[in-house]
Amino acid sequence: MRLFSWLVSLVRLLFYTGLLAVGIMAAAGCLMVFHISRDLPKLPSPLSRIIETPQSLIYAADGQVLIALGEKTSVSLDMVSPDFLNAIVATEDHRFFEHHGVNKLRTFKALYITLFEPGRIEGASTITQQLAKNLFFSFEKTWQRKFKEMLVAFQIEQANTKEQILEAYINQIHFGAGAQGIERAARMYFDKPAQDLTLAEAALLAGLPKSPTQYNPFRHYDKALARRRVVLSRMVAAGFLTADGAAKTDALRPELHDGRKDARTGSYFLDAMIQELVKMYGEDVVYHGGIKVYSTMDSRLQADARTVVMEGMARLDGLMGLDKGVKEKPQAALVAIDTASGAVKAMVGGRDYYTSEFNRAVNSRRQAGSGFKPFLYYAAFRDRKLHPASVFQDKPVAIPIKGAPDWYPQNFEKRYRGPMILKQALIHSVNAIAAQVVADVGPAAMVDVAQACGVKSSLKSVYSLALGTSDVSVMDMAAGFSTLASLGICHKPFLFWRVEDARGRVLFEHIVKDRRVLDAATAFQVVDMLQGVVDFGSGRGVRRLGFKRPAAGKTGTTDNYNDAWFTGFTPSLCVSVWTGYDKKKKLKDKNRRGITGGRGAVPIWTDFMIRAMKNEPVRDFLIPSDIRYEIVGKTTGCLAVPRQNMADKADSPQPVADPAGTIRVALKKGQEPCRGY
Amino acid sequence: MNLRAQNWHEPGTPGEWFKRICSVLNLAIFSVTCIIVVSEFRFDWCERLVGNYLSFTNDTRPENGAIWDAGRHMVNALQSLDQMALARENAGRTVRTADSFADLASKLGPGEWAKLDKERFRALYLSLPPYRRRNVVDPVRLVWLLNGGATDRIFCEGRMGGMKIFFIDTRNRVVQQVDLDVQALGNKGRRAVIPGSLDNAPDFFGRIYPASLFFTAVSRLPGDMRSDLILNTEDLLSEKGFLDRVGVGNSAQDGFICLGFEFRHLGESRVVEVKAREWAVWQLTLVLRGEG
Repeated sequence: MRLFSWLVSLVRLLFYTGLLAVGIMAAAGCLMVFHISRDLPKLPSPLSRIIETPQSLIYAADGQVLIALGEKTSVSLDMVSPDFLNAIVATEDHRFFEHHGVNKLRTFKALYITLFEPGRIEGASTITQQLAKNLFFSFEKTWQRKFKEMLVAFQIEQANTKEQILEAYINQIHFGAGAQGIERAARMYFDKPAQDLTLAEAALLAGLPKSPTQYNPFRHYDKALARRRVVLSRMVAAGFLTADGAAKTDALRPELHDGRKDARTGSYFLDAMIQELVKMYGEDVVYHGGIKVYSTMDSRLQADARTVVMEGMARLDGLMGLDKGVKEKPQAALVAIDTASGAVKAMVGGRDYYTSEFNRAVNSRRQAGSGFKPFLYYAAFRDRKLHPASVFQDKPVAIPIKGAPDWYPQNFEKRYRGPMILKQALIHSVNAIAAQVVADVGPAAMVDVAQACGVKSSLKSVYSLALGTSDVSVMDMAAGFSTLASLGICHKPFLFWRVEDARGRVLFEHIVKDRRVLDAATAFQVVDMLQGVVDFGSGRGVRRLGFKRPAAGKTGTTDNYNDAWFTGFTPSLCVSVWTGYDKKKKLKDKNRRGITGGRGAVPIWTDFMIRAMKNEPVRDFLIPSDIRYEIVGKTTGCLAVPRQNMADKADSPQPVADPAGTIRVALKKGQEPCRGY
Repeated sequence: MNLRAQNWHEPGTPGEWFKRICSVLNLAIFSVTCIIVVSEFRFDWCERLVGNYLSFTNDTRPENGAIWDAGRHMVNALQSLDQMALARENAGRTVRTADSFADLASKLGPGEWAKLDKERFRALYLSLPPYRRRNVVDPVRLVWLLNGGATDRIFCEGRMGGMKIFFIDTRNRVVQQVDLDVQALGNKGRRAVIPGSLDNAPDFFGRIYPASLFFTAVSRLPGDMRSDLILNTEDLLSEKGFLDRVGVGNSAQDGFICLGFEFRHLGESRVVEVKAREWAVWQLTLVLRGEG
């Protein structure tokens, strides 16, 4: 009896205590609502206001839309596949049509787990709560934020129908790859409107909002399919789908839209351009201003650039014996510039944008190696009475440096050839002669020439600059060589022609200004030497791989084979290619031989040029009027045959070098080779 | 201890316990509690109540959060764009209303640019004194630029102390660039009056002649040359005082040479400088030296 009495007292105590607690909680809740609601954000009315930001459009040179920034394409529910609506409701909030903003049972369960199972956090957000969070709140996980989110969810539910809420939700959630809203996602991944999505596609998309990056089908197709399996099972559990139907759908592998994938891979170009636009106009204008930007990107060349870099990297992986499992692989970058204007036609900043968004074409600075020598020879021809037929000794040299130990530059092949003319020295990239020339001319002259040509990176005025020891970007090299290609006329590289506001008013227009920075004839002498590099020297792989048009260029390989370059040009297009590891690491083949610019970068350059110049007319480099060709001895620099003045006899055939020890050089008026014949 | 507590006694039997538990008060409290909880789960009245309250206070609450921030970004962006467009329109208006290149250059701020249509350029160019035109663009070249189809558009861009004019072809390439200085443009070639005598002007040193000698020499020039020597005599005619001496400048600029006319008035001297045709001046100099 006493026990019974005690039990009844206990129950009674508990009941009244509970009642009191509930009362106190209710009062506290009311006070909190009153207190917190003052700081709650105002709700826009109608909810569809969330899609009113105008989109900024970026066009390729051919008028094709490359990307729409801040694009939110809103569609009504009847314009969306019912399969998608079922899938998203089943996955995110299967009681969506029953609750009033909060799923109380799930919330209590989540609260219990969070409080009593340390280390586990259970989410219980309904679609309405997610909408509230996305519209108004940050992603910090605090109970205040959750409480506010819940209150706003109540208001959203009170002020809108379920259909309006669902419509707002599906039009603002992120699906990855820059796609916000279901319509954009459907077009991005499957190139079709949202209403035409099949169950297999709809279920795949419905799985993405949980983690758009982790399940991005372009990057992780298998993970996206695994996530779709979860979506399908929830659809079965919610009664939207039979188990049999789910199994059949699970077996399907929807085909992704490749065109969009290409456009995003061009993002190295777009990223660089957006970075520049933001610098000019600020983020608000670029992302929210609805501007139109007409870029210089040639879609065809950009696609070619992407393909050749991918193929070149696959080839390099094979050469280096790197299989698929290797995590750290070499990277590549490519920049193509129109020599007549400075317009950047294509840019690739790495082997795969999805793996690494770091743009090596503009943001990475690496030593250019021998690729920097053309600037040295121009400075030598300009400041000293030197010319391509001047003779130097290829021998071990010691260059005295004030206040420092002597400099002992070594040839790449560690052997010395004796006397040779400067054209031969550049063709064979002889370091010992480059060192003698820089000691004579001075590094400051070389810095002056490189900067005049458009190299923007800061250069160290030291003797070793002749061997390319200063860090430069791929864009720098392309710009610098482009100035040589246009025989001394410098065009600042640029990424867009025009910027307009939404009403078509022109905000910016790029004007091509020709700025003569080099003497045309002297620049031509360097170009002629660079043609020799492609025809007979370290860049002859270009010819071996089948590019037969007039071309000039220079390879560059740094000590320890950390960087392999080739920068070259035709009269109309200048392209620089870099390959190497992000970290300082040697490029070595399977036999542990170092990979030079000729083996690493030349194949990529050549592949690109063959594709880029297809259907273009063959053009030769323009010969300035005060240039004449002479055939001279490679080692003596003396005339091998009687002179033929090309300027005087314009229709006479150009002299052709005898393979046995002679070579053709371009000389200016007043420059005389020695007369040995 | 209150009276009720003093009078309270423990029920003796289970039946009494049951009676007490199922008292009207207990049942009422329990039922109300159950109704409240069940109705909340069934009808979500609590959420609706809060929702209604928040809807009621919606207009009094701040516009903050991601969606409002985005709206603000958009407003900022549109305002910035409008300002840019307005600045461009103002520059365009400046171009349309400017009465000379000097006026245009002084009104265009550094970095500000505007389109200049060919007719407008032609009008401003022709408003320049003839000897100034060559400074802007060579007249023959201008004929090619404006009439030969080499130019698609003309832009002018303000800079510190002047402006640049770009003649652009259809490929946005600059075919001709002109750099104009406000100071140089401001001197429209009209007379410059310098206090003092010709002796203080080194430009005329050794080439100063009495006015009578000068005009005698002028009268000996052929008629067409005489009329072409000084294009505008208005400045000289309007000058008060007695013309005492004339100096001939030594350096030619754009086909013109400066002549200095020294006037005396009320005991003070001043020199009026005017431009004269180079070829006519050299001919006049020969006459003055007795060689012509």
